[in-house]
Amino acid sequence: MNRIQSKLQEDKKLLSIYFTAGYPNINDTVTIIENLEKNGVDMIEIGLPFSDPLADGPTIQDSSTAALKNGMTTEVLFNQLKDIRKTVNIPLIIMGYFNPMFQYGVEAFCKKCQDFGIDGLIIPDLPVDVYHEEYQAIFEKYGLINVFLITPQTSDERIRYIDSISNGFIYMVSSASTTGAQSGFGEEQTAYFERIANMNLKNQQIIGFGISNNETFTQATKYSKGAIIGSAFVKHVTKQGINTIDNFVNVILN
Amino acid sequence: MKLKICGMKYQDNIEQVAALQPDYLGFIFYEDTPRHFDTKIPNISEHIKKVGVFVNEEISTVIEKVNEFNLDAVQLHGEESPYYCSILRSTKLFSNDTPIEIIKVFSIKDKFNFDILEAYENVCDFYLFDTKGKLPGGNGYRFDWSLLNNYPSSKPFFLSGGIGIDQVEDIKNFKASQASKYCYALDVNSKFEKEPGLKNTSVLREFINKLNNKKTMNYNVDDRGYYGEFGGAFIPEMLYPNVEELRQNYLKVMAEPDFQKEFDQLLKDYVGRPSPLYFAKRLSEKYNAKIYLKREDLNHTGAHKINNTIGQILMAKRLGKSRIIAETGAGQHGVATATVCALMGLECIVYMGEIDIARQAPNVARMKMLGATVVPALSGSRTLKDATNEAIRDWINNPVNTHYIIGSAIGPHPYPDMVTRFQAVISEEIKWQLKAHEGRENPDYVVACIGGGSNAAGTYYHYLHEPEVGIIAVEAAGLGVDSGESAATSVLGKEGIIHGCKTLLMQTNDGQITEPYSISAGLDYPGVGPMHAHLSKTGRAEFLSITDSDAMEAGLELSKLEGIIPAIETSHALAIFGQRTFKPDDVIVVSLSGRGDKDLQNYIDYFKI
Ligand SMILES: Cc1ncc(COP(=O)(O)O)c(C=O)c1O
Repeated sequence: MNRIQSKLQEDKKLLSIYFTAGYPNINDTVTIIENLEKNGVDMIEIGLPFSDPLADGPTIQDSSTAALKNGMTTEVLFNQLKDIRKTVNIPLIIMGYFNPMFQYGVEAFCKKCQDFGIDGLIIPDLPVDVYHEEYQAIFEKYGLINVFLITPQTSDERIRYIDSISNGFIYMVSSASTTGAQSGFGEEQTAYFERIANMNLKNQQIIGFGISNNETFTQATKYSKGAIIGSAFVKHVTKQGINTIDNFVNVILN
Repeated sequence: MKLKICGMKYQDNIEQVAALQPDYLGFIFYEDTPRHFDTKIPNISEHIKKVGVFVNEEISTVIEKVNEFNLDAVQLHGEESPYYCSILRSTKLFSNDTPIEIIKVFSIKDKFNFDILEAYENVCDFYLFDTKGKLPGGNGYRFDWSLLNNYPSSKPFFLSGGIGIDQVEDIKNFKASQASKYCYALDVNSKFEKEPGLKNTSVLREFINKLNNKKTMNYNVDDRGYYGEFGGAFIPEMLYPNVEELRQNYLKVMAEPDFQKEFDQLLKDYVGRPSPLYFAKRLSEKYNAKIYLKREDLNHTGAHKINNTIGQILMAKRLGKSRIIAETGAGQHGVATATVCALMGLECIVYMGEIDIARQAPNVARMKMLGATVVPALSGSRTLKDATNEAIRDWINNPVNTHYIIGSAIGPHPYPDMVTRFQAVISEEIKWQLKAHEGRENPDYVVACIGGGSNAAGTYYHYLHEPEVGIIAVEAAGLGVDSGESAATSVLGKEGIIHGCKTLLMQTNDGQITEPYSISAGLDYPGVGPMHAHLSKTGRAEFLSITDSDAMEAGLELSKLEGIIPAIETSHALAIFGQRTFKPDDVIVVSLSGRGDKDLQNYIDYFKI
């Protein structure tokens, strides 16, 4: 069983953290991953930076630009992750835009992921249909789980379709927004969370976008299996560097 | 029936024609013809037989050429005797010890006495029947094929003489008739040429497809949203409902009579269409060709961009949207969007790179006067690409009430097709306007500059499937294609994904999108619309790139010769006359996509006026 699937079976709410690889410094990747695991994070999304991250707000855009300036590339990231499974056990997901993977070669990319113990991918601009028709077989060949997004605007019919071709979890975008856009959840969001929870989907949901503290984490996980924090964590390392990751995680979980 | 393409001359052209996989390619070694072959034959598929064409040549020379060029066949066009043919049939003469095919030509005028064939029955492999004329072959007209009803032999023959794309139906009828019983191959030449020896591959392709009843190459979008391998909708799920709503409705809405009526009326009364098709006399004299300018610069707001914004604002209203967003580079599309929003009383937000805001100040002021909010794009390189990113992010954040008016033939399906259809009014008008000027709807060439490719798409649209119309696409070379400061996407780009579509894209090996450069803000885009990527890949369009300095000079030249100051984008299209020659009777229509008012400061700085 894939590590993501085992993790989803644990009887607890999951905290997943996104960070941009190569930021703040090019060689922080492994340290960040190890520290996150040590402090009780359940799953990690390693952001492969892209020059034009359409679905991201300013925080992740800026960290991506900085990471690219620092020299981050697909090859560099894979080199950093070579021995990651000697020290880290939690599920690791690479999150990135499709073009860099397409240039690397989708199959070559998937193979490297398998070689180094990556469990899944999140590719916001790879449409479900294209994945299904062209790439699903390759992903499955290398044991990778592809995670799809849904939003408050996604129709029930489409959610069921996405559910039918997912085999990990569904990434529930909390509101119509890019990453890092809002603070706190209102009635509209909770109604949406409830609606999805009541659909009894085959795959569990993890909520992301707009989760930044203990309060929003608790709200989101009331209706779902877990929550993903991205921009808030990136802001934290921007301000405080990577030595106080324990503080950040403790504040969320307690 | 097999196909032989004769009169090959130029190496590149030979390779392109070979890619069409004909059965034979002919090289004429007879010296008294403009198609005389005197270079090397590039490496081509071994399935294509190479034929040397000779007229009463010394046998030793024929043998020499067969050995030198590795010919598979010789075609004898003179009064070669049966004895002559029989000598060439001897394998021993040739270095690779394999026999060559002997094709003996007979020219037919109104009558033909087939008795002459008898003496050749045992010394050649094929006959070739050609039209008798002034020249030994290549006269360009047909003989009466029904004469072949009396063909007494059972030797396979080639049918030749003036065969062109117009005769596809006649060929099909001939094929169905008794006269074609032993017809082995068609032989084509002069009717598929741009000039003697230079074959027109797109017409040839069309001919082959038509003969095989194959659906001809489609240059329009298919129902999956692709142009060949380019296009599609690579969008985050957040945008799916918006883009899907548009995809499901755009053709339906555009087909509504009410919509068409309103669109046409506004184009006429508000934009000022039809825009004139102007014969540029002094420019034509200078470059020795017939040059027409399609005056999109005379549209309201000074460029073609408004054709699209009128269409899209009507679309947005039909879809019940109340808020409009747009990206802009040079500011032309921003102004055109702000204008139609003012016209319809809708809220308008225009994203514009911080750098472009500085270099296009007059257009920023215009947008503000028109009531739009101009939001600087501060991310990335702070130009058009980043403005587009910001507009897309805005749309993600405002999915319900907002319509995004994309300004070029780019973005996720259905945008490239929708924008193209709104801009297609350009070529629709050219057709009837040119008919009035020249007595024909089809020019020899249509020419346009390409940023994302909307004025080009509109200029080409009704000519895409007219193979005799050459399509010329002009990209910005910036400081030079190899300078590192360029926007020549068809040369520098690789397949990739930008702003929701798969197309040719300037990028690093690692798949990061790179910054293009051009003196013109409207051509400064790292991708190109997917239709144009397809036109480039299939060879349907000829892509040229023009440097900053050549464009600026061409802009100044048009001003002095014709009294028209063009936009710098447009100047790129005009600069091809300094780079490429045309025949004196070629009719060339150039899309004069915009006027130069917005670029005055650039011209002033450049020429120190
Ligand atoms: C006058 C003019 N021509 C051409 C272009 C290039 O755009 P497109 O390739 O979409 O026609 C622009 C863009 O701003 C323009 O203003």
